[in-house]
Amino acid sequence: MYTIGIDVGGTHTDAALLRDSQVAALAKVPTDHGDLFASTRQALEEIWRAYPGDGPVRLHLSTTLSTNAVVEGRGVPTQVVAVPGPGVNLESLKLPFTIHELKGYIDHRGREVAPLDPVELAGLREVLGSGEGEAVAVVGKFSQRNPSQEQKIGAELEKWYRGTITLGHRLSGRANFPRRMITAYLNASVAQQQLEFMAMWQRVLQDLKIPLADVLILKADGGTMTLEESGQRPVETILSGPAASTMGVQALTSRQEANYLIVDIGGTTTDLAVVVEGNVLYERDGAVIAGYRTLVPAVLSRSLGLGGDSELHCADDGTITIGPRRAGVPICLGGEKLTPTDAVSALELAAVGSRTKAVDALKEAGTKVGLSWRELAERIVAALIRQLHGAVEGLYRELEGMPLYTVKEVLNPPELRPQAVVGLGAPAPVFIPKLAEVMGLPYEVLPFSAGANAIGAAAAAATLSITLHADTELARLTIPELGRQEEMERPLFFDLAKARRFAEERLREMAAARGFGASEEIYIVEEESFPMVRGFRTVGQRHMVRAQLRPQVRRVRG
Amino acid sequence: MPKREPTVGLVFFPAFDWCITPDHPERQERLLYTRDQIQEEGLFDHPRMREFRPRLASDEEILRTHVVLPSLARNITESHRIAAGGTMVAADLVVDGVVDRAFALLRPPGHHANRIVHGARGFCVLNNEAIMVDHLRHRLGPDLRIAIVDTDAHHADGTQDVFYNDPGVLHISLHQDGRTLYPGTGFTFERGGPAAFGQTVNIPLPPGTGDAGMLMALEEVVLPILEDWQPDLVINAAGQDNHFSDPLTNMGFSAQGYAQLTQLLAPDIVVLEGGYSIESALPYVNVGLLLALAGLDFSKVQEPQGTPPRETKTILSQVAETCREVLNLWKNRHQVDLKEEFGPGPYFERQRQIYYDTDNIHETQQEYIRLCTGCAGWRVGFTSSTRNRTPAAAVLLPWKPCARCLEEAEQQYRELTKDKRFGQVIWQDPSAGGGAEKNGS
Repeated sequence: MYTIGIDVGGTHTDAALLRDSQVAALAKVPTDHGDLFASTRQALEEIWRAYPGDGPVRLHLSTTLSTNAVVEGRGVPTQVVAVPGPGVNLESLKLPFTIHELKGYIDHRGREVAPLDPVELAGLREVLGSGEGEAVAVVGKFSQRNPSQEQKIGAELEKWYRGTITLGHRLSGRANFPRRMITAYLNASVAQQQLEFMAMWQRVLQDLKIPLADVLILKADGGTMTLEESGQRPVETILSGPAASTMGVQALTSRQEANYLIVDIGGTTTDLAVVVEGNVLYERDGAVIAGYRTLVPAVLSRSLGLGGDSELHCADDGTITIGPRRAGVPICLGGEKLTPTDAVSALELAAVGSRTKAVDALKEAGTKVGLSWRELAERIVAALIRQLHGAVEGLYRELEGMPLYTVKEVLNPPELRPQAVVGLGAPAPVFIPKLAEVMGLPYEVLPFSAGANAIGAAAAAATLSITLHADTELARLTIPELGRQEEMERPLFFDLAKARRFAEERLREMAAARGFGASEEIYIVEEESFPMVRGFRTVGQRHMVRAQLRPQVRRVRG
Repeated sequence: MPKREPTVGLVFFPAFDWCITPDHPERQERLLYTRDQIQEEGLFDHPRMREFRPRLASDEEILRTHVVLPSLARNITESHRIAAGGTMVAADLVVDGVVDRAFALLRPPGHHANRIVHGARGFCVLNNEAIMVDHLRHRLGPDLRIAIVDTDAHHADGTQDVFYNDPGVLHISLHQDGRTLYPGTGFTFERGGPAAFGQTVNIPLPPGTGDAGMLMALEEVVLPILEDWQPDLVINAAGQDNHFSDPLTNMGFSAQGYAQLTQLLAPDIVVLEGGYSIESALPYVNVGLLLALAGLDFSKVQEPQGTPPRETKTILSQVAETCREVLNLWKNRHQVDLKEEFGPGPYFERQRQIYYDTDNIHETQQEYIRLCTGCAGWRVGFTSSTRNRTPAAAVLLPWKPCARCLEEAEQQYRELTKDKRFGQVIWQDPSAGGGAEKNGS
């Protein structure tokens, strides 16, 4: 089986062709921001030349389409219809979109406390307009526990609304009403564009006469989804680039440690990701993009304004700080401002551009603070390592400060600290060994040319997850991601084990419907179960089970 | 402290794997719906709020405040250590300036735990607020002035007991009248020991008191007293069982009332106490409380069952009467002749029978307080119970003891250790750290 992975990055679009777990070819073309589609197609054509023609091919595509649309605010005009019930005043959240509040109320158990108002429902037509070329997101508080009010509003809109409709409960089974509103809003606003993108791909594939077995789209959690699914849930494709790169590191590294730190050093930024027990860590609630806090499952990544081309600030006492802004092209490469790369060049830590220019610039800057060029260069390198190390420590402290809700966890908190450092990016060979030394850890630097992002895209596997809320007192089973709510049979016997089995079966059905193999492993990633006692009598059990196809990466030989 | 846009640190520890017994009000499920509501409202995630992990309280930190018989290990679980530790985390966040205000939303509660502990009373073993107050004084010095305003429906008899003779602490408890509810104490005439007379303030409220009555007591008594006493920190022991839906009490407060109380009181640190209407009250009360702490709009917070009717005029006039009485007692506290109140000295003696409802223990306690003008006076307590039948003695030093009291206390301790009647003799010096346990036999 062949897999092509394509990652559309800020500068380059990378492509990789894998034959099973072997890298067969890599390609790189400049990204054309004016016509992303053209440069992506070009990358595909490039890599296609390396395909020997002996077996089916799957395409894994990591696009920045939705990311850019969100960051640049280029989605279609989108309004939100919300059923907030009592609680936090939505106005105080200052969300950057129009919200129409409807009467109605679902409580924390998923019970309907107040129904929707049919008059208000009918009035939506006037409020929203025809919807031509627009979108609407429908979100209720606790809709993940009971989606019926969202569904009723959705059904009403289906009758006459001509734009895209996104229902909040379909996107996540997690609690967080503001995030669900934001997620549904973003999803609705980029859906039209994703549909056009899908249509375009189908045309290209016909044009190129490429016998693709499948086209899969990368998600922010490092997994894939089908092209069709991406039309329903385009918001999940945001930030798939950093995720692909993290998956690439996991695929390529030869480190065997269970816990390691991933450091991706570039010219402008350095991105940190964390692997624990062989799995990359996820954001606790979901991706944050352009200030929007979403419920989109995402690889945890912290971006620092620290890189080879960062600005330098030198205090009068000779203390150096680096970043967070980019200075531009380093002097050794013909630029105008001194950067860490110039220090690297002058100290001959790597052969970059003109060393003479770098030394001259350092001399000039050094005189002002009474340092030789070598002392200054060494201080710059030391400052970068110090700041990087500080950020790494800060990240681990943040992770170790994550709240824990059981006595068991507080007594035995999970061990997150790394046992190794894996680095990538152009400046990595210089800085990673030094960082690892400070941290007292072994390290590995992946070669810059390895195309980790495209390989990561190619090596990724399908992810799917569902949340089951089972309430035996109410005899109700809810799986919001499937829009499913049903009566529980024989609630007295519906224990946690049964809840697990039920969730696994539904997930398996869902995976099969999307054409994923039955071999995919299902994991219960989260579960909780509480007896409910009223007046000294147990009246029922409440189970929550989150089941998913675990994001897996194949180890790849470069 | 900024008046506008305060940041809030939340130490949330629901102890989802801990209970007193599976069907006890203090069970795993207690803060489940509260978590669900806070999570769904997005408050864990709000730019002005931050969640923090609790920690374990050490033996030293606990024994600085408590005398635990026969030993700590025999009385507490790890969950008690986490609740006390989490409360200290909350306090540290505020005094270190990490956040402006903090809420220790955790269990098990603590305000019925006395200084001397033989077991659990009123679901409490360790007094979280008291341990926190002593922790703060240990860190920042004994001159810190701390006010505790306990708004649980039950009288905070444990906290009152711990700080009964402590001039550094002002303890105000608003609660359902002790004649109608556990623990049956908290009357206006309980006013504190010789060194802190008047600094124990009890405001018993008639059953049925609602938002109006509570806010009246707050505005007309609590706030003026705080204004008068000028504490460095205000702590709210925030029980949530005054709620009209609480199964264990008979009060009529609403989530709106709690939020308004929080807004008016503007406490630095809030610590959860009781509250057992886990589905109908706690989720809404806690959301309202958090919003009010952060200075956010709470006007749309409401229970699903709506707002209770306003209390009757009779109740309100009873509350008004109590308010007048308490305020007068406060104003006249320096006019009272302490010799008449506590005798001519050199010791004031009190004897008490204490019942531990949760563990069904009876304790007999005899206490002597040295009347001293140079410090709060050292104390000695003799205690035995149906659980620990061999009597124990505890010599308790105040913060900042005078030289004479220190010497007398040491002398007393030496004598007691030679006395074969006592199974244990404990020396507790809060400023030195933990209470030393010494086996007398």
